[in-house]
Amino acid sequence: MPAEPSQTDFPIDADPPTLDGLFTLAYEELRRLAATVRRSDPSATISPTALVNEAWLKLAASPHLAPTSRLHFKRIAARAMRQILVEAARRRNATKRGGGKIALVTFDDDIDAGVDSAGELLALDAALEGLARVSPRQAAMVESRFFAGLDIPETAELLGVSEATVLRDWRAAKAWLAVELQRVG
Amino acid sequence: MGDADRWTRLQALFHAIAALPESERASRLVAATRDDPTVGDDVRAMLAQDAAGASLLDRGVARTAEALLHSGADGPLPTETFGPYRVTALLGEGGMGVVYLGVRDDLDARAAIKILRDAWLSPARRERFASEQRTLAHLKHPGIAQLYDAGALPDGTPWFVMELVEGTALTDYCTRRELGLRERLRIVRDVCGAVQFAHAHAVIHRDIKPSNILVTEEGSPKLLDFGISKQLAGTDAPIDQTRSGMRLLTPAYSAPEQIRGAPVGAHTDVYSLGVLLYELLTGRLPFELSDRTPSEAATILLTEEVPRPSSVAGRVAASRAAWEDLDVLILTAMHRDAGRRYPTVEALARDLDHFLAGEPLEARPDSRRYRAAMFIRRHRLPVLAASVAVVVIGLVTTFYTVRLRLARDLAVAESERTQRIQAYMLQLFQGGDDAAGPADSLRVTTLLELGAREARALDGEPAVQADLYQTLGGIYQQLGRMDRADSLLTLAYARQRAIHGDGSREVAGALVALGRLRIDQARMDEAEFAVRAGLARLRRERPIDVAAVSGALALLGKALREAGKYDASIAVLDSAVALRGAADTATKGYATALTELASTHFQAGHYAIADSLDHLVLPLERRLHGPGHPLVAEILLSLGAIQFDQGSYPQAETRDREALALIQAWYGHDHPATASALTMLGRALVYQRKDTAAVSALQEALRIQERVFGPIHPRVASAVNELGNLAVAQDRLEDAEGHFRRMVEIYRAVYHDDHYLIGIALSNLASVFSARKEYPRAEATYRDALARFTAALGPEHSNTAIARIKLGRTLLRERRFAEAVVESEAGYRILGKQSEPGTSFLQAARKDIAAAYDTLGQPERGRLYRSEWERIAAQSAKKN
Repeated sequence: MPAEPSQTDFPIDADPPTLDGLFTLAYEELRRLAATVRRSDPSATISPTALVNEAWLKLAASPHLAPTSRLHFKRIAARAMRQILVEAARRRNATKRGGGKIALVTFDDDIDAGVDSAGELLALDAALEGLARVSPRQAAMVESRFFAGLDIPETAELLGVSEATVLRDWRAAKAWLAVELQRVG
Repeated sequence: MGDADRWTRLQALFHAIAALPESERASRLVAATRDDPTVGDDVRAMLAQDAAGASLLDRGVARTAEALLHSGADGPLPTETFGPYRVTALLGEGGMGVVYLGVRDDLDARAAIKILRDAWLSPARRERFASEQRTLAHLKHPGIAQLYDAGALPDGTPWFVMELVEGTALTDYCTRRELGLRERLRIVRDVCGAVQFAHAHAVIHRDIKPSNILVTEEGSPKLLDFGISKQLAGTDAPIDQTRSGMRLLTPAYSAPEQIRGAPVGAHTDVYSLGVLLYELLTGRLPFELSDRTPSEAATILLTEEVPRPSSVAGRVAASRAAWEDLDVLILTAMHRDAGRRYPTVEALARDLDHFLAGEPLEARPDSRRYRAAMFIRRHRLPVLAASVAVVVIGLVTTFYTVRLRLARDLAVAESERTQRIQAYMLQLFQGGDDAAGPADSLRVTTLLELGAREARALDGEPAVQADLYQTLGGIYQQLGRMDRADSLLTLAYARQRAIHGDGSREVAGALVALGRLRIDQARMDEAEFAVRAGLARLRRERPIDVAAVSGALALLGKALREAGKYDASIAVLDSAVALRGAADTATKGYATALTELASTHFQAGHYAIADSLDHLVLPLERRLHGPGHPLVAEILLSLGAIQFDQGSYPQAETRDREALALIQAWYGHDHPATASALTMLGRALVYQRKDTAAVSALQEALRIQERVFGPIHPRVASAVNELGNLAVAQDRLEDAEGHFRRMVEIYRAVYHDDHYLIGIALSNLASVFSARKEYPRAEATYRDALARFTAALGPEHSNTAIARIKLGRTLLRERRFAEAVVESEAGYRILGKQSEPGTSFLQAARKDIAAAYDTLGQPERGRLYRSEWERIAAQSAKKN
């Protein structure tokens, strides 16, 4: 058989990021971005939606992470954002209870607001766990919308349902979660 | 909450009641929930919350996040001692971990303690943290912060203690102290020493930038943050494909290959050191990126020229001569093409030393030498007297091979006439004076021209003349001179017709020979027509000439295969095998038919059948010709190709090496057949990233082919193509472009403009453009290739399909999703019918189509392709 030239294979192409890899990427990038905002301007607003969008812009500029789609990334980033806030809230609660042996923290005046927020966020986290057990799709919807700022059309696209379905499911889930939050709080 | 059914009921009621006027709600709810009043209670509570609209979910997460993230708290630590160190302050936090200041009371020493927060969140995070720790454990160098201790907390949180570097970021240090040129260069020289040390331990840093280099009070730089460094297992090892070191890059200091996602290596760190030098000496980064979006920044880095450092206002003061050298030094370090940079950090450091010592740079003469070498390589003629004799021997062997095959196919082997022609030709080739004369007089084309002239003079023997034309035409074809072959074979056909009559066996032979040429010219319709015409005449002969008919059938099968008509080809070849096999299976004709059949099954992606056919032919060829015969080697190469196309590169290498040994023993080390085997071997080595071995095999192949056939020949193009592929794999894109352009030129010179091989060369050239993110250029070139494939091979051919899949990927990268889907899906559909599902092109198509559908808002369809991709990837992972 002659060494007949053939079309080149695609450049040796690393596997696309795994779910865990993508989660790690999103998690660390969001934390890094949050830390950067905090360092450069302590009074600046840290909006999770803005952080997720910023992270996506950086990702979109890295062709080696293709073929991650925007929505797929945001879905993962929502989960990462939730984890970041939950961890922060847990630590905040632990500090309040004096659970740590050492607290290397300079608190601002807003400490009480922080603690309230921590309780509320942890309650939401627990309620979302409950929702995920009976309706994983609605839990995913709430997570994506609340923690990554997906709008209705994006959510519909992500979950493969109509916008009307998203609106209905969102309204019911929101009402039920609010009940749960109040029950705990 | 109860179960899913209860939740369904709650929601249904919630929506139904919410749709009612306020006044009717209470009564309807009670009526609907008599069986279970707790349901009514829950729905009532939900309606109340819905109306209030004041929960956390309504307010949004922004304020909560603000309160939780803003105070910089990373919370309390479960312990304050890590090994012998006691935590005293928070130093900082990044994406991965938190860093504390630790004190060791017994030694009065200070250290940095790095902790991986929330380690349980993901294995990839733990792996990355552990990898940095392992790397540091290897690297004991004064320019690299040392690892002291490591461990894990009771809850599993991993930590390590490392040298505390109390210093200033490199750029700030230089600015604050207003350092001069030489002092700045000396610091970078020291940084090079640390990086070089890491490279010597097979660690690539990948993230060299000023904030990762702290300079102590004494002026010693220390390299930090090996968080995304990469451990290379060895130069010949396959590329480490783990993504645990993944991080979104800051483009300013990243090498082009990092931005493209191509393999990184020592050259990646060389690039970043170049940027570092640029910034330290000019006070600015090579590109102004602050107002750009990340994707714009990436485009600029990949396409725009770096302004010469000496042209930057505000640069460090130095003489004009010094700046000339610095331009060369910095621009060599940060050359876009990795192959043109300093090959190692050590080379960069040497030139820094030369500069500091006032000596000439190595980079300067090197670049001139490089250009000279390129020039010589491109224009070299085989002029050495010693090689001339070898050329002649090679040609005579080629001649014999061709001659024998022609004799067989023309079915005139027994005739006295043939023997006379053979004797005549041999005399022609051996008549030259081996020792004298310029090379050109001995070139095969010159000899052939001589032969053709002699043939024209044979007017007294028209039958011999016609046969000679046919023979010469066949040789020209073998040499790639299609124009000459065409006119000689056309002439031979006309003469045979005039002498022997249209229905004669001789005309049948001439038609078959013409058909063979048309296959090489990729004029498949004409090839099929000519061979069929010859075949019809052969079938009328009585007694039937089994050898001639089955030979023509084998050729027809080949023509049909090359046209992509695999089913028809298999049917024809099956009949050739049956016909010949019924007469005698121990013949060369039978082996040839089987070999062609194996090739069609191979092209059609029926690897198992091709493999078993080749295994059937192998002992046959061994028996017919002896175990060391080149035909045996050809089957081995074919078996290697089957392994190669299935991605079993080490097995392909084994087969290729077996074949190579036989061919070298038969033809010697300098024969074109040896070169072809070396090319196949080189290809298998490239895919295993045994780069060093691949380079030497391919360059040897190229050297032989160039010497035997001159610089313009398809066999040269074959070797050049594989060198191009290697250059792509090594991310030496300029070299790759040079190789593929040369390939285009060769095919354009040798073949008609519509030959499909020009399409192959163009498609590969387009891959280089695409890798460089020059998408419009890539698109135009792919479309050019595609038009050629469609015209020459038809819309259903695998090459057409592959080109569409590649075009699809380029469109996808341009974010033209709708157009991308059209191309990728069309290519996928065609190729899917012909190839095994695990083929890399099909897998690439699945990924691309899934990504495009996701973005086009059709995630359902995207999921279909993605799950198929995952299923097959998992299968092949299991297989390996």
